[in-house]
Amino acid sequence: MAALEVRGLRKQFGGVVALNGIDLDIGTDQVVGIVGPNGSGKTTLFNVVTGVHPATGGTVSWQGQDITNIGAHRIARKRLVRTFQQAMSFPGLTVYENVRIAWEQGRMRGSRWASPGMILDFVGLAPLGRAIAGSLPFGSLRRLGLAVALGVSPELLLLDEPGAGLNDSEAQAFAAVIAQLPPQGIGVCLIDHDMDMMSDLCDRLIVLDFGTKIAEGLPAEVLADSKVREVYLGPNRKAAAS
Amino acid sequence: MPMTDNSAGKTGAAPEGVRARDRLALLTADNAAVPLPAGVQAITAILLAVLLIALPWLGLGYRFLSIAITTLYTAIGLYGLGLQFGQAGIMSVGHAALMGVGAYASAILSVQLGFGFWTSLPFAMALSAIVGGVIGLPTLRVGGQHYIIITFCFCALFVVVLTNGGTFTGSATGLDVGSVTPLPGINFDKLSNNYYLVLAALFLALSATYLIGNSRYGRTLRAIRENEQLARSVGINVDLHKLGVLMVSGLFAGLAGVLQLYYLRHISPTLFGAFPSLYLALMVMLGGARYLYGPLIGAVIVNFLPEVLNLDPVDSRIAYGVCLLLVILLLPGGVGAGIKNVYCAVRGGLEKQGGGTNGRA
Repeated sequence: MAALEVRGLRKQFGGVVALNGIDLDIGTDQVVGIVGPNGSGKTTLFNVVTGVHPATGGTVSWQGQDITNIGAHRIARKRLVRTFQQAMSFPGLTVYENVRIAWEQGRMRGSRWASPGMILDFVGLAPLGRAIAGSLPFGSLRRLGLAVALGVSPELLLLDEPGAGLNDSEAQAFAAVIAQLPPQGIGVCLIDHDMDMMSDLCDRLIVLDFGTKIAEGLPAEVLADSKVREVYLGPNRKAAAS
Repeated sequence: MPMTDNSAGKTGAAPEGVRARDRLALLTADNAAVPLPAGVQAITAILLAVLLIALPWLGLGYRFLSIAITTLYTAIGLYGLGLQFGQAGIMSVGHAALMGVGAYASAILSVQLGFGFWTSLPFAMALSAIVGGVIGLPTLRVGGQHYIIITFCFCALFVVVLTNGGTFTGSATGLDVGSVTPLPGINFDKLSNNYYLVLAALFLALSATYLIGNSRYGRTLRAIRENEQLARSVGINVDLHKLGVLMVSGLFAGLAGVLQLYYLRHISPTLFGAFPSLYLALMVMLGGARYLYGPLIGAVIVNFLPEVLNLDPVDSRIAYGVCLLLVILLLPGGVGAGIKNVYCAVRGGLEKQGGGTNGRA
């Protein structure tokens, strides 16, 4: 049984169907990538799973418990933690305090980290501990977002475009940090558009289009799938691309 | 933890040869999150305590001491407002009404049931806390300016209810109470003893504010102020804590209200209306809601300004307006922020002179 099981998940915003019956199984020992064109429902999937938006239908269960619509903070307390597409922080507080807030929340239920400083070391932000979060350069802000999420001691981390806005070397360094997580018992599910990075990093890829899952499997298989190529490259360019 | 170069951030470390714009940046810098060394904190606290305890012995006169008592009980209410606004980011312009709930609860308990100061105090504080929480319910749906208008409405409604409450609330005339029940050997009819009573309460309020500000609870509140969505995503029950901090703020307001009642010995609805509420908001912004001594500084400025400059009530209102404009333009964090920014700049300058030793703070 996978730790996170999503069954028939639906989300409608008025007349727009953002998620149309999604089924997912995600364990805590892998890196799973979710890809798809803009508007395919990737971020909505994260928002509904983590309780930011209520589901219109279907169920989400985590470690055997139904967590559909129980509220964002309760889901985070069950160690299912997400980051946001826009790099988020507590901007007026120091980097150390940002991580400490998350760490203290996680510590109430037993933390894998002995101190907030360990998390800063892990993501490489230790020298910036006393800087004000709002004054960080974007790359560091992305790391801080990850550090805050890790502070809660997640068992599964949902990363929404962690590489967006980073340059190549920053993105590679970030990917290296992410790759260290599953061996430590922190599963990762991430959304990103960088196909090279995704196929290197992910053990499994899931492709969404118009709110439905159109493919799932090993990265190489998925990228060779004709339906996926059609969605990404358009039907007319299929021949040119292959 | 390694010390980083603060001048790269928003800290106000002033370089040599500051230009006018840099000087302004020094004032408007946000150093609220920069921790102060324990030694500096302790010295400030001791100096302030000595000054406040010695005040009645300085021979400044009856009138001065009366204004000092007004300042101190106002400051107690402001510490509650400072907590909800400075830490959790929820502003209110109806805070005098919350003090009024405490004052009227205590006065009604005294008139109807014969409760004295000490017995009515816990009930008055509890009622203020509950009312604070109930008015806070809309914060779960609306924030910022919308909530401010709701608190303003509560304030107006409260005055209407009191004015039409018949003999129960004393209508427009208000209610009278006796003096504070004496403790063995201490008669609170003596003004200096009343001053010490209020001062003791202020020390409680200050200590509570300090402890909350440095606790996990305080950090939770700041997380909500800074980013509600992120706060939820790390497991903080944002709704519960918003109501909670408004209830804690209500406790402070109730205490301040009862002290006000037993100092004045007579209360009427106008004391808790829109104008006093706006003054409270002015004081907390003037002093700096995020700083430990900000609310006290704000209360001192607003209460003593007319006295020092010899202003009549109309002139003093104009002076308050000018003060508020100056604060918004020059010191967005309040006078407390200005003092801390100067301190950070001086320390930054000293560290630079010391050859960049990266000294720990």
